[in-house]
Amino acid sequence: MANAHAAESASHAHEHVHEHVHEHVHYTTTGLDHKKIAIWAFIGSECMLFISLISTYLIYKGRSVVGPFPHEAWTSPSGQLFAPILNIPVTSASTFVLLMSSLFMVLALEAVEHKGNPAYANNIRGNSKFWLMATAIAGATFLGFQAYEFTSFVHEGLTIRTNLFGSSFFTLTGFHGAHVTVGVLWILTLFAMDYSRGLTKKDTVLVDICALYWHFVDVVWIAIFTLVYLIK
Amino acid sequence: MANTAATQTTAAPHAAYESGLWSWIATVDHKRIGTLYLFTALFFFLFGGLEAFLMRLQLAQPNGHVVSAELYNQLFTMHGTTMVFLAIMPLSAAFFNYLIPLQIGARDVAFPRLNAFSYWVYLLGAIFITVPIFFELAPNGGWFGYAPLTTIQFSGGLNIDFWVMGLQILGISSLAAAFNFITTIINLRAPGMTLMRMPMFTWMSFIVQFLLILAFPAITVALVFLLFDRFFGTNFYTLAAGADPLLWQHLFWIFGHPEVYILILPAFGLVSEILPTFSKKPLFGYHVMVYSGIMIGFLGFGVWAHHMFAVGMGATADAIFAMATMLIAIPTGVKIFNWIATMWAGEVSFTTPMKFAIGLLALFTIGGISGVMHSSAPADTQQTDTYFVVAHFHYVLFGGSIMGIFGGIYFYFPKMFGRYMSESLGNWHFWLNFIGMNLTFFPMHFSGMLGMPRRIYSYDAGQGWEKFNMASTIGTVLLIIATLIFVINFLKSRKGGSVAPNDAWGAGTLEWSIPSPPPDYNFAQIPTVTSRYPLWDLKHPEMTSDISHASPDAATVADAHAAPMHEETGGKTAAELGIPMPFSTLKPLFAALGLVIMFAGLLFMHTDKFALAMTTTIGGAALLIGSLYAWLTSPLE
Amino acid sequence: MSFFRPRRYAPALFVAVALLALAACGDQYPNSTFTHLTDNNRTISALWDRLMFLGTGVFVFVEALLIFTIIKFRKRPGGPKAKQIHGHAALEITWTVIPALILVLIAVPTVQAIYTTQAKAPDGSLKVEVIGHQWWWEFRYPELGVVTANELYLPAGRTVSFQLNTRDVLHSFWTPQLGGKRDLISNRTNWMWYTPDRSLAENAYNGFCVEYCGTSHANMRFRTFVVSEDKFESWAKHQAGIAAGAPVPTAVAPAAGAPVVTGAAMAGMKMPAAAAVASAAPVEEAVGYTFPLDKLPAHVVPTTPMPTGESTIKFDDALLASGNAVAGRELLTNMANLGKAPCLTCHVIKGEMAMVKDDQAKGPNLTHFGARHTLGGGLFSSDPATLARWIKNAPAMKPGSIMPTLGAGEYNAMIKQKLASGLDDRQIADIVAYLKSLK
Repeated sequence: MANAHAAESASHAHEHVHEHVHEHVHYTTTGLDHKKIAIWAFIGSECMLFISLISTYLIYKGRSVVGPFPHEAWTSPSGQLFAPILNIPVTSASTFVLLMSSLFMVLALEAVEHKGNPAYANNIRGNSKFWLMATAIAGATFLGFQAYEFTSFVHEGLTIRTNLFGSSFFTLTGFHGAHVTVGVLWILTLFAMDYSRGLTKKDTVLVDICALYWHFVDVVWIAIFTLVYLIK
Repeated sequence: MANTAATQTTAAPHAAYESGLWSWIATVDHKRIGTLYLFTALFFFLFGGLEAFLMRLQLAQPNGHVVSAELYNQLFTMHGTTMVFLAIMPLSAAFFNYLIPLQIGARDVAFPRLNAFSYWVYLLGAIFITVPIFFELAPNGGWFGYAPLTTIQFSGGLNIDFWVMGLQILGISSLAAAFNFITTIINLRAPGMTLMRMPMFTWMSFIVQFLLILAFPAITVALVFLLFDRFFGTNFYTLAAGADPLLWQHLFWIFGHPEVYILILPAFGLVSEILPTFSKKPLFGYHVMVYSGIMIGFLGFGVWAHHMFAVGMGATADAIFAMATMLIAIPTGVKIFNWIATMWAGEVSFTTPMKFAIGLLALFTIGGISGVMHSSAPADTQQTDTYFVVAHFHYVLFGGSIMGIFGGIYFYFPKMFGRYMSESLGNWHFWLNFIGMNLTFFPMHFSGMLGMPRRIYSYDAGQGWEKFNMASTIGTVLLIIATLIFVINFLKSRKGGSVAPNDAWGAGTLEWSIPSPPPDYNFAQIPTVTSRYPLWDLKHPEMTSDISHASPDAATVADAHAAPMHEETGGKTAAELGIPMPFSTLKPLFAALGLVIMFAGLLFMHTDKFALAMTTTIGGAALLIGSLYAWLTSPLE
Repeated sequence: MSFFRPRRYAPALFVAVALLALAACGDQYPNSTFTHLTDNNRTISALWDRLMFLGTGVFVFVEALLIFTIIKFRKRPGGPKAKQIHGHAALEITWTVIPALILVLIAVPTVQAIYTTQAKAPDGSLKVEVIGHQWWWEFRYPELGVVTANELYLPAGRTVSFQLNTRDVLHSFWTPQLGGKRDLISNRTNWMWYTPDRSLAENAYNGFCVEYCGTSHANMRFRTFVVSEDKFESWAKHQAGIAAGAPVPTAVAPAAGAPVVTGAAMAGMKMPAAAAVASAAPVEEAVGYTFPLDKLPAHVVPTTPMPTGESTIKFDDALLASGNAVAGRELLTNMANLGKAPCLTCHVIKGEMAMVKDDQAKGPNLTHFGARHTLGGGLFSSDPATLARWIKNAPAMKPGSIMPTLGAGEYNAMIKQKLASGLDDRQIADIVAYLKSLK
């Protein structure tokens, strides 16, 4: 394994022999970077976190003693009738934006992976800065939608303190939003690195782990969108 | 000492090693962090023992008046919390840290600075959750913290806040460590160290790390809900809003039951290293031992509700969880039999570590049997929440985990400090511990089945419990004497014990091929591994001849001998050998400090000092983020 | 090293354990779970016997095998070399299959017992609502109109169906001699049932809260009195009405079973003929059955010591003999005295004005308090001297109790200072006389 790995590194790096002399190459059993393994373990753990949050939301669904409710019309104590609170068209749009951001992330990773490849040079496919920024903007747009949604809910009388639905809904989507925020900051950090020193092929793993995290956050949103918004 | 294969009589050449306080605070060396974990966790073990002793004094007689009701409730809450989160888990972490890289032939863990961060978060979190008891402000909702008792409606003070935030902090430490060890074990095994050649301790630790990353999120979420309820007025456990208290119980036990295996599997791993060494035989049924460990971990996630047989989940749920629980007895029993078979036809020598390992077998069996009794749901309605349960899980955690960990300390002490612990003091420690343990916990089976509830600070005279309680209290005195003997032995032997060679006991795994204590780089040359017991291959080929070795087309035996096991580095430093080592750094410590300050700030919210709370919390967060940023952008080595 | 030999100590340890086990079979264990007094406990005992039998078998086998192994194969000078056996497939299968078979022997009766004990209670069962409070028990018999606290009366030979609820945190209901436990879960209702044997007559058992519920969890106890069906009926009939023997205004003195004054809103509340109190005379009326004091077994008599040292509650016991029940009633029921004796804001006494709805009362129902043997959640005997001190400073006697400190000059733990004004000993003696008269 070690020999194979060393051989592989050598063949890829024949142009940078002098770099290899100075830079110590760490042996790893699988040949993968540590960070890649750690991010998978982290995502496994995060799955359990969101499973717990989503389960709580589902367990408490329909148990709130006062409105507003997600899918049912409700009457306020003053006798006013209110429509169900979830706005599915708007959330569908934000879901689409988040899905697009995953696509941009794939393209950003591809651009970094192919740094130095002439086919990618000087065209949009190789422009990692563009794709990173596009991902971050799409992520920020999703957060904007969420901010809009939260604000309008509060105006309609639903806060995190109102009822079981409010507590479990805001906590679940808030946790997801926090994850998106961390992701956007992470992507912007990568963008800043790309801007200041230029990401190279060797930085692939840095973009790769960020992409894995970003796709995970995206998949979690698909689950939330289905279970919280679509299923009545 | 005649039992050991030791022949060397002079100290192994010590590699030049930094010393002084600074070198410990800024260290990222897994062995030093392991040592820090060991000392800290032993301190908290003594502290938790003291809490238990106060409780036993209170219960020695009916209507005791040693402590007040309020203090007693804090004591039992903190005894459980301390022993689980501040003693046994970090004692296991001490071994993870120290041993895993040595056992798999690595120079450090995958993320040395994250490792330092885990330790500092643990230390600061432990201080955070422990200090309040000196002001009678300690958590008082039980280590299980059942809602709604822990909500602000029923527990208004700071007590529960310390608990909620303390556990969150400690959870972050455990999770960070688990990601680190998973990566280490997957990615830093020496060439030839396939999964099925890994030492059993590393295997059991590997399983534990998965349990940690999958179980802790459940309690994290449960605690986040409680924290939000207490600080932001959410309704997760608010009765008036229609909350269901069973939400907490399910989330808590989805974490809580795997947690039991998190506590016991490392001890199983240690015993699986000790028994073969002192029987002069490889572990019996290695594959079965691995698979049974995986089975235990897997089934451990499907049995949580057996802690809830009295809550009225309905007959079907009770039946399912009862049968699932019984299933776990099978892989556990298999382990016991394989351990006995390991000793069968061997040359069993009764060194102190071996006594503790055999003690684990004898005592854990009792805990296992009473565990099966609990799995019978209708019978459990008479047992649960009585002293019978207290007896059961102390046979598991004291008879199992603590016995295994003591065995591990005696076994690995020579590797860690280059000297043996005293065998005669060890003998006294073992027997007083063994007798004291049985005298303390065996009578609890009786007091429980004779109707004594748990968690009571006081009981009436004439209930038929007096003599059992008195016996338990006398047993605790023996345990305290035993533990003091251990502490004396531990402290004395560090400088005064007889000198240990590399291979202190004649064991077969990689960690024994390097000097005691190991140099900072562990292995001057990363070894190539061809079997489960590389050292025995070299020294006692007859012992491992019928275990499968590397297939001929892979790394060959010649390769193995090309990387000699006995390295004579002559005390060379890493620099002299040209081995790059990670820099010492304070950044993980500052990040940990920031994290704890961030949580601590929230405490002021309950004293109406909102501005102070926000300032502290934001300041803590800034310190955390700043340190993390500095850490991530600075080179490791 | 030779001093401690497992071989030498194992028999001694075994004998000690056996003696302990033997001792556990004696009579002196009043809360033993190993009884056959109800159907529930017979089912559990049968399971337990099987668990114990198989468990002992496994224990003896494993420990014997372990001891044999370490003795037989101990390292000896000149002894045989270790045989290098590293595994054995047939053996592995054997010790997987045999435990599995043993577990089947446990699983089958377990599942049967789960469905037996959790079946719906038989028709015609006596319904009892068990309501947990921090830290006392409320027992309601909805079919009989009885509300009582901390002392549960059950008819021998009749199935009792318990409906379990809590007003606050979680509790758990347990009388070890009569059956398994069941938790009281907030916002949920639990059920359990059992049938005390017909042969049980006039037996008293201890009950406990077994789910940690806060400061005085240990002090949340109750008594279960199993009595013959006719005695139970006599008790229930009387309990459903108002107290006999108490000074009741003649104008409203109703017969047993009279309409109960409950749910009156504060505003519309009328003082029930307070002026008539002076002419009130004890009503001579048959007092229903009460478990006789002289037949109480020792184990149900509380032994909780009174607070000592700085927290001693001083009381002039000589006053108790001359306590005036009429004056005591006046203190409790006259609104003018509410500041000093706010008893009826938390307690309900049937026949007296109700300031709190009967099912929302924070304190135990006191209608027949005089017929109870214990007070404070089964923590103390209900003798006049103890009762007087309880009224004077309950939180000093029971940590965390929400029953306020009432005696003048007593240290009030809630406000952390001495009470400037409050009841004097004379007044307390009167209240004691009144409460004890509520038979």
